Formats: sequence, C-alpha cells, structure tokens
Amino acid sequence: MLKPSPIAQILLHFANVLVIAFFLLPIVAVTIGSLQSEKMLQADTQAILPAEWTFDNFLVILSGGEQRGKIFEQVTYLPDNVKSFHRAFANSVIVATSVTILTLVFGSLSAYTVARLRFGWTIWLMNLNVMARFVPIIVLMIPLYVTFRNFGMLNSLSGVIVALTGFLLPYAILMLAPYFATIPRELEDAARIDGCTHFSAFWRITLPLSAPGLASCGAIMFIISWHELLIPLILNSRAEFMTLPVVIASLVGDVHVFFNLMMAICLLAMLPSVILVLLLQRFVVQGLQVGGVKG
Amino acid sequence: MAADAERRNTDAASGAASGRELSPRSLAVVMNVPTILILALVLAYPIYYAGFLSFHQVGPGQLRSGVFPFVGLLNYERVLTDPLFQKALLNTFTFSAIVVVAEIVLAVAIALLINQQGIWTSRVTRILMLVPYAVPPIANGLVWSFMYSYQFGFLNRILFTLGVITEPINWAGNPDTALFAITVPYVWRTLPFAILLVHAALQGINKELHEAAAVDGANAWRRFWHITLPLLTPIIVVILVLRTSFAFAVFEEILAITQGGPGDATWVAAWYSYRKSFAPPFDIGLGSASAYLLAMLVGILALVYVRMIYRRVE
Repeated sequence: MLKPSPIAQILLHFANVLVIAFFLLPIVAVTIGSLQSEKMLQADTQAILPAEWTFDNFLVILSGGEQRGKIFEQVTYLPDNVKSFHRAFANSVIVATSVTILTLVFGSLSAYTVARLRFGWTIWLMNLNVMARFVPIIVLMIPLYVTFRNFGMLNSLSGVIVALTGFLLPYAILMLAPYFATIPRELEDAARIDGCTHFSAFWRITLPLSAPGLASCGAIMFIISWHELLIPLILNSRAEFMTLPVVIASLVGDVHVFFNLMMAICLLAMLPSVILVLLLQRFVVQGLQVGGVKG
Repeated sequence: MAADAERRNTDAASGAASGRELSPRSLAVVMNVPTILILALVLAYPIYYAGFLSFHQVGPGQLRSGVFPFVGLLNYERVLTDPLFQKALLNTFTFSAIVVVAEIVLAVAIALLINQQGIWTSRVTRILMLVPYAVPPIANGLVWSFMYSYQFGFLNRILFTLGVITEPINWAGNPDTALFAITVPYVWRTLPFAILLVHAALQGINKELHEAAAVDGANAWRRFWHITLPLLTPIIVVILVLRTSFAFAVFEEILAITQGGPGDATWVAAWYSYRKSFAPPFDIGLGSASAYLLAMLVGILALVYVRMIYRRVE
C-alpha cells in the first residue's frame, strides 16, 4: 500500500476539513437560524451567533401554535400551515411508509421475474424501467392532475400514494433485480426438490436472503417519498392532506413568516431523513451504488 | 430413479396442498400484474395523455366543461416562439452544464479523498457527506434562501465576520448571479450520489496497477492521469448522462430561492411548465406542450443511457 508522506497527510486532513465544512455549512446555518428570534436576526445583521438563544420557534411549531413562548407573544398572525405541522408530519409518515411498503412488495415481485425468469418481455420491462427513471415528474403531473380531477381523486392521501408508488416503482425494480440475481440459484433448486413451488422458493428462500437489499431499497424509497414535493403539491390543495414539503413550500413568499420560524420547520422536516440515512448509511450507500450503476 | 420418483411424489403432494403449480411463463406474468397495472396507470397513460393535452386547448373553462378543443400544433408553436420559454431553455442548459461539470470534478476529487487509507478524517467525510442526500430539496432551497438573504443572510454574516466584505452581497437577488447562486445548493444536495458512484468504481480498480506504476517512478499525478482517470471514464459518462437529465428538471430550489426571479433570470423548463399550468392563466395545454419538449430532451439522454448499459453488458 502506498502510504502518503507526512506533508501529504496534513494536506489530505485539510482537504477533508474543507469538504466536511462545505457539507455541514447549511446544517449549521439552519440550526443557528432556528435557535434565535426574529428580533435577534434583525438586531445585528453581521454577527454569526445571536446574543440570545431560544427554543420558542420549535415550541410554537410543536404545540401547533398553542404555546407562543416569549417571541411570539405579540404576534397575532401565524400561518395555518404552521399550526397544522402535526397533521403534515403524520401525513408525510403515512405517505412515505405506504409508498415504501408498496414499492417493496410490487418491486420484489417484478424484480424477481426480471432476475430469474428471463423471458424476452421481462428484459424489455427492465429496459422500460430504465427509461421510466428519466421521466421528469412535471411531465406526469399535468396529465395526472387532469385525470385525478376527472375521477375526483384530488385531495386525498391515497391519490398521492398511488402516484408516488408508480413514479418510484421502476427505480425500486432497478435496485432489487441485481440483488436477487446475486442469490445463488442452487438454494432455490434445493428448495424445489424439497417440494416448494417456484413462488414459495422465491418467498421462503430468495426474499429472506435478500433482506439487506430490501433494506437498501426501502431506505431509499422512504427518503425519496419523504422529500417529494410536486406530487402532493399539485394533487392536494386542502390543508388536511398536505405533507411536510408542501407546508414548507407554502411558506415561501409569505412575508409574515420570518427566517427563524422557516429554519425551525426545515430542521424538523429534515431530522427524520437525516437520522435514517446516518443509521442505515451502509444500506443507503449500497442501494444508491447498485441503482445508479447496474440499472 | 428412486430420488426422481420421490421428487415426483413430493411435487404431487405440494401440488395437492397448494393447487397446481404455475409454469414459469405464467408465474412471470402473474408476478408482474401489479407493476404493469400501476405503471400503465401512473406512467404510460399520463405520458400519452400529456401528448393528447398538448394538442388541445385546456384551460379552466375547458376543465369545467370537460371539452378540450383540438388546436393541432398551436401550443407547440406558442411555446417555441415564446421568448420566455427560450430564456427558460437557455437557463436550463446553462444551469445543467455548470452543475454537471462541477459535480463530476468534485465527485472525482472527493471520491479519491475518501478512498485514502490511513487518513482518519476521510472516514468522517465518508459518513457526513451523506447528510445532504437526506435533506428534502424544498427544505434545502429554503435553507439556502436564508444563506443568500441580502439583509439577514448567513453567508454575508460569515464574510462580515471574516472581514472580507463591508457591504452585503445580494447573491440571489442580482439577475447576473442568481442562476449561478442556484447551482450551489443543487450541487450541494446531489453531489453525494455522484461521489458514491465514483467511489464504487475506484474500489474496483486493481491496487497493483498503482503499485507497479509507483515502482516504475510515476508520481501521484501521472498515476491518476494515466491509470485512474481512464478507468473511471465509464462511470463518469454514466454520471454525465444521469445528472444532466435530472438537472434538466430542477424545480424545488428554484421555487424556494428565486421563484424564477429576479425578472426572468432563473426561469427554467420545469418552472415554465409548472407556472403556465398551475398559476394564472392555467394554460394546461401550453404547459403540457412545454413539458413534452422537456421530456423529449431527457428522452434522448435516456436512450443514450440504455445504449451504454447494453454495451457494458456485452
């Protein structure tokens, strides 16, 4: 192994510090911004750290506007979307969880046929999935809006779940198929000799052995669903069906909402996915690498 | 023979228990039914229907009555002759070119950095670089609108504190710099993916090649240029195609930071389709035509990508 010289080592450490600083700078900004009052942000526009720290931004959001704390005592106007944070959070959890489960179930069934039962048309299906991954979501949203409007499916969580599942399913298949292909076929053959049907060999042997692949795919499906803005933004206009990204988008351009409150909501919205990624980093890395390259 | 007979017996037994076993051909069809249904409903049909809408006049009145008059290529003509769409397309190309070049250069550099053995900070980078991937794009946009804020922004605060500036800089509010300002948050959020792909490719490079070259007296730069970079070329092309096609559809950061402004400085293709369709005058036909043009551009890239995969398999 080539060992870097001492000077090279110092330079490499320095480069790492720079890269880490770049990646964490916005996280530092959102944290500092959310822990101070509007007054502090306006009082000194050149200081990095505020003179006074406060948790009131989080207090007012998490209590649904009930507890105003010191900095919101005087405030008479608070956007309804800030008050319905709990609802939006719950909606986001429901949507992301359902989409994760649906894409994993449907994706596994399809990916298995692509990986093991190779007919001309399953290979074609795989190519279509690769192509489908490229479709820009805005292209789908306009016709989906018109269609859902005609069928009265606007303003419902299930509409969002169906649309998002369809959008993500090709990506899930692209991630799972290469994984299934790595499970030794002999294990299935052995199970079939013991009397399993083809499907139960898949269900009892290949699927459980693919648990790490399913975890990778599931983590990524959850994260993308948690992030998705356009689908719920266009399909839902009523507050009770809004997800977190839609609530965040609704604060853009609201002159009554100041940065400190926005930063607090952003921080709360990114916390679950950041924690998930750090906890499951091995799976996330693997899923992104497989889905990106082997598709 | 005995084993064969036994197998037939157990097959028959399980067949009796769970019904007749499907042939692989039928099983493949059955297992794909949910996927094909969902993809037909949410991908294939909308793509067809977007094409249909783009040839019709579809506004609020038509949506209410449910009758869409056929207008032929009129929507396409209006889109292509709209100076705002031309501007949006040009912005999209400029934005994507900057983003993709920056990402490839940074991804190769950072992947080499985190691939270093015996440097403990590289292991820290390897974990922390995943954080941007976890940040919702719309939240990322809002965070950067705070970073960029002219009066209260975090970037200006840092530069003031360091003594670099005496007057605040209007990062995203200046039409000359706004589009460039948007590229930074976008690169920040999507860079981890590119780094991971390059890193995976790096790990596949045989270390002995490097050691042999070092023995022959090649310095680190020559080893990178003559060994590593040529071996990374396939993955760089993959990143080029993938990232370009996704950057073409940039939306959230635009919505959060500039909403297309100042003026039309940051109108991009997806923003054009969105605004024309879902803001006054709610011209869904026009929006569909513009979205279809975007889809065709991305479609060409997708074909290139599929072709590349075929080549790699062969």
